[in-house]
Amino acid sequence: MAFDFNVILDNWALFARGTWLTIIIAVAAVAVGFLISIPIALMALSHRRTLRWIATAYVEWFRNIPFIVVLYLFFYGLPFFNLRLPEAIVGTIALAFFASSYFAEIIRGAILAVPKGQMEAARAIGMSYFQGLWEIVAPQTVRLLVPPSTNTSISMVKETSVLSTITVAELTYQGLVVQGETFAPFEVFLTTAAVYWVVTAIFAHFMHRAEKAFGAAQGAHQARTSLADKYLLIGARRPA
Amino acid sequence: MTKTLLKVSNLAKSFGGATALRDISFDVAAGEVVCIIGPSGCGKSTLLRCINHLTAPDSGFVEVAGSYIGRERKADGKLRMQSHREIDRMRPKMGFVFQQFNLWPHLSVLENIVKGPIKVQKRPRAEAEEQALALLQRFGLRDKAHMFPSSLSGGQKQRVAIARALAMGPELMLFDEPTSALDPEIVKEVLLFLRELADSGMTMVIVTHEIGFARHVADRVVFLDRGYVAEAGPSNDVLSNPTNPRLREFLSQITSDQPAAGKGSSPAAEQPIH
Repeated sequence: MAFDFNVILDNWALFARGTWLTIIIAVAAVAVGFLISIPIALMALSHRRTLRWIATAYVEWFRNIPFIVVLYLFFYGLPFFNLRLPEAIVGTIALAFFASSYFAEIIRGAILAVPKGQMEAARAIGMSYFQGLWEIVAPQTVRLLVPPSTNTSISMVKETSVLSTITVAELTYQGLVVQGETFAPFEVFLTTAAVYWVVTAIFAHFMHRAEKAFGAAQGAHQARTSLADKYLLIGARRPA
Repeated sequence: MTKTLLKVSNLAKSFGGATALRDISFDVAAGEVVCIIGPSGCGKSTLLRCINHLTAPDSGFVEVAGSYIGRERKADGKLRMQSHREIDRMRPKMGFVFQQFNLWPHLSVLENIVKGPIKVQKRPRAEAEEQALALLQRFGLRDKAHMFPSSLSGGQKQRVAIARALAMGPELMLFDEPTSALDPEIVKEVLLFLRELADSGMTMVIVTHEIGFARHVADRVVFLDRGYVAEAGPSNDVLSNPTNPRLREFLSQITSDQPAAGKGSSPAAEQPIH
């Protein structure tokens, strides 16, 4: 048994096309999903019970169903309502909705993690709720959003493989095509796995750097905070 | 002679089953310093938050310089609830200084102060910064303008919080327990600072549990008990000759752990009853 590199070399164009489509779908679904999740998260935090209920139902619905079932519901459901779209678009939409339920929970948690007094101080000087959210709360959530969003985004990159079941020609689909032509499944899927790994690793690397950048920006003034405030600055002032 | 700047009438608020405020009425004249005192849990902070509508009262009215906030009594006597926008526009008329200051940690001291003028009042940045720097200069914090709140001491944070509120040009200032989040050593410094602010003509309502503080700073004292104004009047009268038995009890408990503030050394004998 020898690893047949020709399987890969002969079909590299298909792998490349599949990888490109995987990246595009993942980026689009994550971006759209994040945008959808913002109003969902705000509804979940609303003091109106109906809005909270809608947001909870939305999140619970998408989080408790396997993505493949969500995908089938969109794929077979949209034509049911006379809406016919290309598979790649349907798949991206389905993934965006699926991702939004996870992002909504991440955003909700991040907003809750910002002390209540921050918003109150914004309201006290006359800002509206949305102004306070945008000017004061949102900037403080970024640092809290990055690590969990990275995890969810990586999961979504991997979930794009499910789109192969509705014939979207992304990486896994191309792998299946090449396998069908070459009868070399091990070579094909080892290659596929490697490509997924590289894509997610590069993504994670950049997110990690973003995380550090935000951490450093905050750290510049926060590392000195509690410790220094308690033991250095005030301590030095006391004798005087 | 002096006009009423803040008018609180029949304010009530309860949370679920717990009633914080039952029926609160009092006036504050322009330039006056009023301390609201009372045992913990008597609704002092709730009252302050109801005044600027951070907490919406259940009933009653608050008027600032003749304008209602939140709940409005129309000419025909009917009640009208103001929109969020109307309330947002009223709030900065009252500078609110939080117990924990609630400075915005991601913004520099200067940005903390100019945020309101720029975003709420839509004033040009240059003008807002000039005003902020003048306030910092006045408060002895000019050199801290570009530092972040986390590198300031408690007293400095408080002054930045006051500057942030003053930058909006408020009619009066509301202070929630200004001394409780600070080291005891700097309470005197805060007291002098607030006294100075009062002397500049600023109207102030201060919630505090420090009687010594109230005695030194306040023109008038309002004693809250069980959701009512149990006693109110000039601070010397109220604190030296309390008529209300609950206030007398409250003062005797408080004064026992106060440093002898000039009067008799025995805490029990500190409040002679005439």
